[in-house]
Amino acid sequence: MPVKNLFEKYFNDFEDYDEVLKSDMTINPSWEKLLNNFSTIGIEELSEKQKQIDWLLAENGVTYNVYNDPKGLNRPWSLNIIPFIIEQQEWKSIEKGLKQRAELLNLILNDIYGKRELIKNKIIPPEIIYSHRGFLRNCDQIKYNTTKNLLIHSADLARGPDGRMWVVNDRTEAPSGLGYSLENRFSARRSAPELFKDIHIEQPFSFFKDFHQLLIDAAPNNKENPTIVILTPGPHNETYFEHAYLSSYLGYPLVKGNDLVIRSNKVYIKTLKGLIQVDVILRRVDGAYTDPLELKGDSYLGVAGLLNAVRKKNVSILNPIGSGVLENPGLIPFMNSICKYFLKEDLILPQIASWWCGQEKERNFVLENLTKFVVKPIDRTNREHIYFCELLNEDELESLKKQILEKPYHFVAQENISFSTAPNFTSKGLEPRKVVCRTFAVAKNETYSIMPGGLVRVAAEREELRVSNQRGGTSKDFWITNSTTKEQPHNQRYHWHNSSANTLAGIENLPSNTAENLFWSGRYLARTLVTARYIRMVLNQMADSDFSKQDSNPESLHILFQSITHLTSIFPGFTGKNKEAAFKDPLKEIAKALFDKNEFGSLANGIQSFSNSYFSLRNLWSKDMWRVFDSITKQWISFKPEKHQNIKSIIQLLDSIITKLIAFMGLIEESILVEQGLLLYFIGLQMEQATMNIDKSRALLVVKNEEQTEYEILESLLDSNESLNIYRYSFKSYLNIENVINLILLDKSYSRSLKYQLNRIRKDISKLPDKNQNIELTTSYLAIKEACDLIENVNSKNISKIDNNKFTRIALDELLAKLSTLIHKTSLSVTNTYFNHSDQQRQLVHQKNV
Amino acid sequence: MLYSIIHTTSYDYDEAITYCHNIAILKPRDFLGQQLIDYSLEIQPFPTYLEEDIDFFNNTISRFSIEQSHNKLVVTATSLVERNFDLQPNIFTSEICKKTTIKDALNEFKKGTEETLSVYEFTLDSQFIKSISSEIKEYAEISLQPERSIFEATNELMERIFKDFTFDSHFSTIATPLEEVMKAKKGVCQDFAQIGIACLRSVGLPARYVSGYIETLPPPGKEKLVGTDASHAWFSVYIPKFGWVDFDPTNNQIPKNQHITVSYGRDYYDVPPLKGVLYGSGNSKMKVSVDIRPAKNTKQQQHQQQQQQQQ
Repeated sequence: MPVKNLFEKYFNDFEDYDEVLKSDMTINPSWEKLLNNFSTIGIEELSEKQKQIDWLLAENGVTYNVYNDPKGLNRPWSLNIIPFIIEQQEWKSIEKGLKQRAELLNLILNDIYGKRELIKNKIIPPEIIYSHRGFLRNCDQIKYNTTKNLLIHSADLARGPDGRMWVVNDRTEAPSGLGYSLENRFSARRSAPELFKDIHIEQPFSFFKDFHQLLIDAAPNNKENPTIVILTPGPHNETYFEHAYLSSYLGYPLVKGNDLVIRSNKVYIKTLKGLIQVDVILRRVDGAYTDPLELKGDSYLGVAGLLNAVRKKNVSILNPIGSGVLENPGLIPFMNSICKYFLKEDLILPQIASWWCGQEKERNFVLENLTKFVVKPIDRTNREHIYFCELLNEDELESLKKQILEKPYHFVAQENISFSTAPNFTSKGLEPRKVVCRTFAVAKNETYSIMPGGLVRVAAEREELRVSNQRGGTSKDFWITNSTTKEQPHNQRYHWHNSSANTLAGIENLPSNTAENLFWSGRYLARTLVTARYIRMVLNQMADSDFSKQDSNPESLHILFQSITHLTSIFPGFTGKNKEAAFKDPLKEIAKALFDKNEFGSLANGIQSFSNSYFSLRNLWSKDMWRVFDSITKQWISFKPEKHQNIKSIIQLLDSIITKLIAFMGLIEESILVEQGLLLYFIGLQMEQATMNIDKSRALLVVKNEEQTEYEILESLLDSNESLNIYRYSFKSYLNIENVINLILLDKSYSRSLKYQLNRIRKDISKLPDKNQNIELTTSYLAIKEACDLIENVNSKNISKIDNNKFTRIALDELLAKLSTLIHKTSLSVTNTYFNHSDQQRQLVHQKNV
Repeated sequence: MLYSIIHTTSYDYDEAITYCHNIAILKPRDFLGQQLIDYSLEIQPFPTYLEEDIDFFNNTISRFSIEQSHNKLVVTATSLVERNFDLQPNIFTSEICKKTTIKDALNEFKKGTEETLSVYEFTLDSQFIKSISSEIKEYAEISLQPERSIFEATNELMERIFKDFTFDSHFSTIATPLEEVMKAKKGVCQDFAQIGIACLRSVGLPARYVSGYIETLPPPGKEKLVGTDASHAWFSVYIPKFGWVDFDPTNNQIPKNQHITVSYGRDYYDVPPLKGVLYGSGNSKMKVSVDIRPAKNTKQQQHQQQQQQQQ
């Protein structure tokens, strides 16, 4: 297909500058090779490739969270198959401009928290600093370990009407996008290698090396093997995927504020063994939230005392706390003067013409011509507060005017620029869309190292003015192409030996928070699996006995229904006063135990709890695991219980979920090492399995039933344990209670028996590190040991005995109750010893001045 | 006047606190007219870390942490302060102080001189005084007319707050918004000071919050009881080419020798006497006692005697 056919319906209403097509409809030479590759591939194939990319990103779990999104936490990241191209020659001059801008912002940051010459010499008005939310007075006069103050800078660029790239925004707080841009490159190359044919693209390898070196060099006292961590606000943050991604890609642990603690002005990470000092923090938490002592008092995302640790030069934070003051459109009108003041030169990259309303003349001009402008507050208190005045009605304009007049210094008006468009692949063919390029710079010696390329974001709709991920929209791979070099592109791997940073390997160094999440992952997974199997067994029994004929329902079925209530603790269920009603429509009650996620103990609740701990740990999981996990949640969410009220379809659902859960558990065991925390997962898993084993046995074995009923119950119990075949193999006999107890409670070597599970917990607990004493003297070990000793001395004959009252096996019940208490005690003790999060953070009560 | 001040804050926790990080702003400032002769800060349990530092507003602050389990925290600041109002620039005789009008001042601020830039941020929003309501502005403008002298207009504003607002120690908390105080016209000194500041800022004048103490006198013929005083607060307005002038709306007076300044800030948020973050569960009970009384300067005497001995 000829290239020009690609663009057949491209411009129905051509107005703006386009990156590919010039106004005379000729093609920008930088894009020629790519378009040729496109023609070779053809539209249909392109469409296939786009689907592959979408699939790959979804499969890899690349997500972007949108706050308050009805669709749930994780929205898939989207990448358009058509990249964005800038030719190396042009890029070189952009790079120069970016270096200048990063340096300039660094000097401003130095000055704002230092001598404040810019204010004293009237280069900038005081309001744009003093009234900016990002100006943190507690950061005043702090001296840093690093040669520069601003270590990471991101700029959003767009091509203006003059054909040059303009700076639209600066990002200096905690710039996001690095992880996404890497993943974009990997996905594009993997799905559509043909696109890259004969095109030389600059790779970001050396940029990431510089980034890594920056983190190492930032360590206090030139420490040789510094401990570097990434501080994240947690899984609810919009870019959490990226935090986890960078954590596994760069090899630094991902931590939350409550993983850290300050002792004597040093920062430590809480691990199983104790405290390990942290030297460098790459932060993704906004500055104001990092220290509840000195900054935002009600923040739970930071750690109290952090700022003083910085002051004492015991830790380095990138970017330093307080750097958010540079995300400030109020600075734009003054940038050229600042540049002349500090560097004695003009700005290289153009910016949008901006008017700061704190000046009378400028304010009047803005108010008189308001509809021509885009009005923004100087700080990003709320990202929706950008006013595109041409779209406002009379009332809205009046209200904006009032706001400006009330606090003029808080607003900046910018020219409404029509930035360039670039082709985007859509279901309707190619469409021009607005694009914004995010660039990345990191400090390197005296200057900055610039990532070749970056992240390109595309407006969601054809006419969309705003380009923002929060509003939906897509992204592009960003190519810096070199037409002069003949060198063939090669698939460079972006990995290096992370030998110079302390990666906190080994079970002793496992952050307690990670350990806790692994422990609970184990517990939730076991609960989910056991519950699913159990309810499936009951449903199968219902199907077999044709349960619709209510009167003839066997006694055993009633007992099984009641045991569901005991196992899930969803009371009253099949017990209590109204149990007859429940027996009449058992599916209704069972559906609750399966699908009502508000019932603690339901299958839905288990899956949800597990999802939460899954997301908190996602930097540990492999991609295969993501795929299985994603498929479990998708299948679970898409199943509509109200539409499938027959037993068969629920059984099918459970069959499939159970298979996937087992696959997932298998993957866990092969994807993480014991030292990485698998031990904690096992302890949680076995504890839950043992507990549920006890609950089942107490519900089914303690009460003595008629012979026929008892037989059916024993069969059901073995069935729910997947133990029927093993029973037959081991005993080759008719089912009897003593043998069943021997198999599922007392067998030493059978992995589904209680005795095995208890011994396994004891063995695993004995491998946990201990701060002070011999592990065998700790409460957790002593409790589990007591449980093991107890079951060791049990004789199956004795506990199968029926009491004098002829109805119950009291000895069995007492034994199981004791064991249950001991497991609970062990669990509590493990939790208290290793997961030190029981300490609530609070503020000291204030005394009023009276 | 020489004062000895003992300010004790104690917290009782019903469950142990694992550790805590705190900042105390309790050390009185030193300036012409107020001399800090002696100061000590005693903390129980003994802090793991304790160090003095200077904050953004040049107040002396003490950072401390207690990194061991504790059920009780007691912080006692003991100060010896010499107060001599006569040494301060004389508010009552200075022509500049009395004559500068609000309009003059606003013009001066527009020039952006080094002097005015240094106080400029006290005209802007702060944590507890932001987005000042039109109700407050209207209340302010009754007194703060452009042609009037700042001093006299502010003095009148102080009198009005004193008359219009009722002292009520149960009405407000730290978190009570200014608008509510304005509507109910009730509160304590902290609220009155912040209302005064909001009024001044609403017309563009720099105003700051002053945290400190006031000496209270016992009823005639009775002996003063220990610990009956409290920490106090008032406000200050900046008059160009003269300086800051204090007003105490709670007592309707211009602070002189009975007022002792501890710290300045934009509002209470910048200068709480004690703040902290602690880790642990359970409830806490706070007790505050302040005791101010005239003192004999034994230290100065000792010092003089020693000097005499050496001569």
